[in-house]
Amino acid sequence: MDWKNYKPLLIPDIENLHQIDVYVKNGGYDALKSVLTDKTKWADQKSVINEVKEANIRGRGGAGFNAGLKWSFMPPADGGARYLACNGDESEPGTFKDRKIFEYNPHLFIEGALIAAYAMQITAIYVYIRGEYRSWIKMMDKAIADAYEKGFIGKNILGSGFDVEFHVLSGAGAYICGEETSMLESIEGKRGYPRVKPPFPAQKGLWGRPTTINNIETLANVPLVINKGAAWYKTIGAPTHPGPILYGISGHVNKPGVYELPSGVPVLDLIHKVAGGMRNGKKLKAIIPGGSSTPVLRADQLEGVGMDSDSLRTAGSMLGTAGLVVMDEDTDMIDMLWRVSHFYHHESCGQCTPCREGTGWLEKVLLKIKNGEGEVKDLDLLIDITSQMEGRTICALADAAAWPVRYTITRFRDEFEARCKKSIHAVA
Amino acid sequence: MAEVFIDGKKFEYDGEARLLQYMLDHGLEVPFFCYHPSLSVPANCRQCMVKIGQKIKNADTGEYELNSEGEHEVRWFPKLQTACNIQVTDGMVVLTQETDELVKRAQKDNLEMILLNHPLDCPICDQAGECPLQIQTYKYGPEGSRFEVNKVHKPKRIQLGPRVILDAERCINCTRCVRFTDEISETHQLTITRRGDKNYPTTAPGNTFDDAYSLNTVDICPVGALTSADFRFKARVWEMNQTPSIDISNGKGTNIDIWTRDNLVMRITPRYNKHVNEHWMPDIGREAYKLFNENRVSRPSIKLDGESSVKTSWNNAVETLAEQLNLVNKDEVLFIGSPHASVEENYLLSKLANLKGASTPLFTPHTIDGAGDGFLLTDDQAPNTEGCRLLGLEETDAASVKKAISAKKIKLVVILSDHLIDRGVISASDLEGKFTVIFATNNSETTAVADLVIPVTCVAEHTASYINVDSRIQRTIPAKETLYTKRNLNLEMNEGRLDRFGTSFDNWVTQDNKVDCMPLWDFLAQYSESSGHAISFASGREVFADLSEKNSAFKGLSYERMDDESGVQISAKTTTVTS
Repeated sequence: MDWKNYKPLLIPDIENLHQIDVYVKNGGYDALKSVLTDKTKWADQKSVINEVKEANIRGRGGAGFNAGLKWSFMPPADGGARYLACNGDESEPGTFKDRKIFEYNPHLFIEGALIAAYAMQITAIYVYIRGEYRSWIKMMDKAIADAYEKGFIGKNILGSGFDVEFHVLSGAGAYICGEETSMLESIEGKRGYPRVKPPFPAQKGLWGRPTTINNIETLANVPLVINKGAAWYKTIGAPTHPGPILYGISGHVNKPGVYELPSGVPVLDLIHKVAGGMRNGKKLKAIIPGGSSTPVLRADQLEGVGMDSDSLRTAGSMLGTAGLVVMDEDTDMIDMLWRVSHFYHHESCGQCTPCREGTGWLEKVLLKIKNGEGEVKDLDLLIDITSQMEGRTICALADAAAWPVRYTITRFRDEFEARCKKSIHAVA
Repeated sequence: MAEVFIDGKKFEYDGEARLLQYMLDHGLEVPFFCYHPSLSVPANCRQCMVKIGQKIKNADTGEYELNSEGEHEVRWFPKLQTACNIQVTDGMVVLTQETDELVKRAQKDNLEMILLNHPLDCPICDQAGECPLQIQTYKYGPEGSRFEVNKVHKPKRIQLGPRVILDAERCINCTRCVRFTDEISETHQLTITRRGDKNYPTTAPGNTFDDAYSLNTVDICPVGALTSADFRFKARVWEMNQTPSIDISNGKGTNIDIWTRDNLVMRITPRYNKHVNEHWMPDIGREAYKLFNENRVSRPSIKLDGESSVKTSWNNAVETLAEQLNLVNKDEVLFIGSPHASVEENYLLSKLANLKGASTPLFTPHTIDGAGDGFLLTDDQAPNTEGCRLLGLEETDAASVKKAISAKKIKLVVILSDHLIDRGVISASDLEGKFTVIFATNNSETTAVADLVIPVTCVAEHTASYINVDSRIQRTIPAKETLYTKRNLNLEMNEGRLDRFGTSFDNWVTQDNKVDCMPLWDFLAQYSESSGHAISFASGREVFADLSEKNSAFKGLSYERMDDESGVQISAKTTTVTS
């Protein structure tokens, strides 16, 4: 794959692109104009949805679902309110990509959201940004105010008769509010509890009205597809997971940061060539490919693995949010796992029993092992607890808490056993 | 008709149904905690896990597709589903804990999780004995716990409001109480605070949980997290007898259960009646239990020299009433009926008035404007105002009652269970120079001025019917004994666990808890014997049978119908003349 000659599309190297004038000068809002006014190219809303569906933009929030297909689930318009909720909560540890869009190219996202709104006949757009991003929220407020002023948002946009409102809302720092239905509750001003599905948000979302939820990065891809077509978009990166991806690389590398590259870049290239190699010349021990909930991979599992969902699934993990955490040979996996479990214990909303109780149990047993007081049977207990949690809750937080435990223990079992006391229990 | 296959058995259904409710309606059991038929379905306890599949139908023939073994082809859901929020669909296949090992294991796992941080203090917990968590743990739970680390500690003994106390450690976060205040009482006073295994329900800072319906949260709490400040630590569930009855604290006729131990009423809880109160009752109705235990009129009393009141014998009470009735002409006596007394008692009073040839008893409704809330509280403060109207008693306002009583020609006033002075209808001076007889359950200012006080049974002691503000007639069952009734001889009383399994020393032994009173029919039967009049009935049931025979407004009504139909709706409000 020729990722070395790739020119960034989401965050191109243009100075002051976050300013609306610079953005418009560089072809910004052309896609919106085309969609709203060029009836020869875009006969109706459906044609926009079909193009996006054809492009196969897979959701960048972690689930990897085809965005256009998701749009097509919206019921026919009935004259009432319809919402687009844009998820910029990015609370998954290891993930810090959306804030780059807020900072460097906010109008690309706004344009994408407006096109989505037009395609689905949305009446109001909400951007939900985590409360810790105070300065990025201000940036978005400014960008949206500018777009209102230029007539890209509001009543009768570009003379097309299409009206939409655009609001920025912030959370108060709960991880769970990044879960899509929990985010809807939070937007409604309620406690962040995930909703039971069905009904799905497309039927009953915000205030009981049809709602679509997309990740910020997903929507930022939309203007690219509209401008250059689905066929072009599909040539970028891995065939089954096309498009540019913002890789957030953190951990024991020389140059951590967010890098925009096509999907499917080999993991080892990302570490050694993009991120400047391992810090202090240490050996690579393990990676977490897509945020803390995705299963950890040992260094010896990484040969030939690319950063796209299929390749990572074959290797035994997931792409998630493409927030790559790199760990060197000095990393204590038990310590790392305890810290991850501590996070999920702290962030479980407490609605479903298996997650509320299970996350705490996992953390407490891991703490015992970390302190050298665990026994080998505790490792089996941990695996057992994870199977009591997986797939038994309303949202995926229980899975997110269970997977790291299950896979870190199975993939680094020797290290865990070495930390355990000799078991006083007889072996059958 | 659409069909669903549960544990290999075929069931048919019509319309829409949620799987868990459908199974409960058909006598099938799946353990659950957070689900409540009258509340929204959050599916948060994750206990009612079942395995669900869909039989595949051929689109052309409409027949089920067969697999290679000739059985119906089933497409299974990838994960177990909670039965509470799944809609039943045609051709759905359900496997419960009865037939599927994975489901059984999942339910057991979930109970292990619920019990991790639960204090397991059942021996000192009020909920023990009627605790869904306790019952379902015995049935479906794990044998022990593998939890060898520290439990989470949370606040205990928090006084959420005047009537409700929270033990947050026992809470399993089912959110039933929160949903109750959001959806039923609509005061929104409770919410869940904090996160994860530290969360628990509470009020907003500085607020108290003083909802008029707050004690319903204690009833629906599936563990002992919310307990009643009044009832807590008073009695164990298995020591009490539970008797169906009717709330008399207002005109709604809320269906209740009266819980007694040793002839004392310990608490009142609501009883489901979809026509009246569903699962709920106002807190004020629960406090009425004190009226059944305390400050009771016990043994007749009579005023000598119009001054001091002394206890007297039943014989003397009978003779005095007969004597006083004989002393006066028919237009010198006034009978006052009562919306606080039952249909039977008012009927008997009008029979007595009729025998004397006096005019039909008066009654005045007891209402407080604005006391009602459109739900289970009514402006009407009495349980039987409609009953008095239907019997044809003469309805008057308070001023007219005062005028009628204080009229010069009246020499004898017979009042039925209505504390007229206490509620400000008349004053003590209105009764001066007249002989006043009152049939009463509790002592009051009114009984204090009466010349002859005859104790009658209260709603917890007799079989009687009441007609609520919506013209629904419902009846009570005796829950406690009087001095003259024996549980094992009175067939109207219902049987409790200790009646069947206990010894005679287990229950009902303290003589002091029995009130020296009798039902009005019993007293009038004795009166008839001495005076030769014919108001002699052998039970409340006979009184009602006579009423339904003689009064066309009550035609076709019977205790049996009230029992079978959870009360009978009397359609038309007609006025008829009593016999």
